[in-house]
Amino acid sequence: MLVPDLFFAMMKEEWRIHSTVFGGFWFALFPVMIVVFAFLGSLTLPLFSDAVPYTVAALLAQIFFLLAGAMVGSFGLMGREFMNRRFGQASLIAYVSRSLPISERRIFATFLMKDTIYYILLYVLPFTVGFAAATPFISIDPGYILLAFASLALAFLIGLSAVCFLSTLYAHSVRLLAATLVVLALALFHAGTVVFPPYSFFLDPGLEPLALSLLFILIPAAISVLFVTVDYPDQVKRFKNSFDSLAERLSPLGSEHFIAKDALDLLRSEGGAGKVVFSFLLPVGLIWLCLQILIQFVPGIDPLMIFAVLLGVISSTIYNWMTEFDSFSSYAFLPVEVSGVIDAKLKSYGILSLLPVAVLVFAAAATGGAAPFIPALAVLISVSAYTLAVTVYLTGLHPNVMLYHAGVFARYVLATSPVLLLIIFASIFDPLNALGSLLLVPAAAFLLSRSRRGWQTWEISGY
Amino acid sequence: MHQMIEAETLTKQYGTVTAVDGISLSIVRGELFGLLGPNGSGKTTMIRMLTGQVRPTSGSARVMGLDVVEDPIRVRELVGIIPEQETPPSFLTAEEYLHFVARIRGLDRIDARCDHWFDLLEFQDKRDVLCKDLSRGTRQKLMFAQAFLHEPCLVLIDEPLINLDPIMQRKVKDFLRGYTSKGGTVFLSTHILDIAEEICDRIGIIHNGRLLHAGRVDDLTGSGRHLEPFFLDLVRGDVGA
Repeated sequence: MLVPDLFFAMMKEEWRIHSTVFGGFWFALFPVMIVVFAFLGSLTLPLFSDAVPYTVAALLAQIFFLLAGAMVGSFGLMGREFMNRRFGQASLIAYVSRSLPISERRIFATFLMKDTIYYILLYVLPFTVGFAAATPFISIDPGYILLAFASLALAFLIGLSAVCFLSTLYAHSVRLLAATLVVLALALFHAGTVVFPPYSFFLDPGLEPLALSLLFILIPAAISVLFVTVDYPDQVKRFKNSFDSLAERLSPLGSEHFIAKDALDLLRSEGGAGKVVFSFLLPVGLIWLCLQILIQFVPGIDPLMIFAVLLGVISSTIYNWMTEFDSFSSYAFLPVEVSGVIDAKLKSYGILSLLPVAVLVFAAAATGGAAPFIPALAVLISVSAYTLAVTVYLTGLHPNVMLYHAGVFARYVLATSPVLLLIIFASIFDPLNALGSLLLVPAAAFLLSRSRRGWQTWEISGY
Repeated sequence: MHQMIEAETLTKQYGTVTAVDGISLSIVRGELFGLLGPNGSGKTTMIRMLTGQVRPTSGSARVMGLDVVEDPIRVRELVGIIPEQETPPSFLTAEEYLHFVARIRGLDRIDARCDHWFDLLEFQDKRDVLCKDLSRGTRQKLMFAQAFLHEPCLVLIDEPLINLDPIMQRKVKDFLRGYTSKGGTVFLSTHILDIAEEICDRIGIIHNGRLLHAGRVDDLTGSGRHLEPFFLDLVRGDVGA
């Protein structure tokens, strides 16, 4: 099979997977939603230009797409089972090296190309179109449209290839990954001020930042393709029964069998510790770094408070880990209710939420900001509870697939972003204002109780 | 005769598709009933409705005296179910999965119950293997074990012998016959006619969601007919109708 054939087959497959899960119409609407949000968001830029200059807004967009690239890369690229994790054990094109004479390296290279094109068309292009549509109304030179597209695509691809690189290292050796992360952290520390190449390219288009951006994309991507390693699920893993002892220890919480199962799923899945690094600590670390850059442009803001808001949003994605390994259909033939499984997932989430709290404590200690810690903690807890409740309300036990449904995604954004922006702006005036975010906790409780009832009638489809 | 399953004009529609179309049937204690039909004929939906996993669009059903819409959890507490497509959770071992199910069902003597099924279905050596790494046949044994772990009086099985080797198929068939002879009741769905002909007391033939025939296997074979031509005539006749 030639690479172009493989590429087009993968593109077709990716589209069909998404459109089958969400319905072709609703999935086709997803880029339209991005256009609409980018258009509306761009229209508001002049309103906030005093607090958030255009250059800072551009930086925030770059960070957003860097993270989006990292998320696309980490979605499934978790060490040895990256293809298996992404596709389950279905007979998809990613597995054709089992039955056809095509190397895993060629498949993975094509897979990366497919992700590049597919997700640039799905995310970056619609965002740029929305921005472009708004430029006549906000007095921005249309010349920035192409520049925005190019720099955002570069930012996205840096995120994608960085995660592929790190996960390839992880697939070979956890120690190698850890050593590389330490070296990268030390290099960043010694470099002092960091300038993100796509952002430099946006501010001052030239060959140097463009070449640097391409190097940051091509070198990690090339290394991950050259050293790709894939284990197929015919490796037999054996474990002693640790479920019972774990369930016993968790029994005071109730639903102990589900929580113990969630814990074992998380620990034994190939992502294990890597999942925490890629899906949580890496984006959180990047956000912290970017906030350090942001405060140079916008003096007077409290980075800990904004960090707490974003940490709250990202920590709600822990719920996605909890629901990644099973679906209710695995329990539907047992005497179990959907609400019971949701309750158990929420308890598991509660336990894992100690991780973002620890991160916030660490961040507060690093900045010496003991005074804003309490309001920041209140913000973290409130935002985390509220975004989680919105997620559960809208997606039940299926956040990993349902958030790609355009209608669901739109409702998620509408339910969360105004609230988050309000907290951020209120905390800029006085960090103590952020304590008002605690009002989100009863709202979260209300949404969760509605979710338990609403998802109770969920049914298995198919006959 | 004690009724274990009573369905009255049970119907299920998914959008414009009628998966099950007004099926009425009853199954009594100690009976081994086989619902036969081609792929996509509505067998799985029928089992899901009878076990409260799917709400009927119309009609009603009682299982062990309980209304499946009003009391689905209690129904699933009492009966054992072996679904066709579902597989046990990936990252628990076979033994852990049975313990997981036993805890959901609030059972005692969990180790003894598990040992019994690992021995009976001959997969002791797989008890510490992650479910995701089990062969399809072993997963089917595991699903079989979970359904009988609480010693139910009624078991509903969707494609009972799928993925099992001939030796294990024989064992399972003998087990099911022994189970019903001791008062247990089995409702199984299959598209493998030989199974039905060999072990079922009564059969129902379903096509396009409609029950085309229900009767004793003995009556059919006693009249010198075999199930396969009878089934094919019935289904082809329905297609032509």
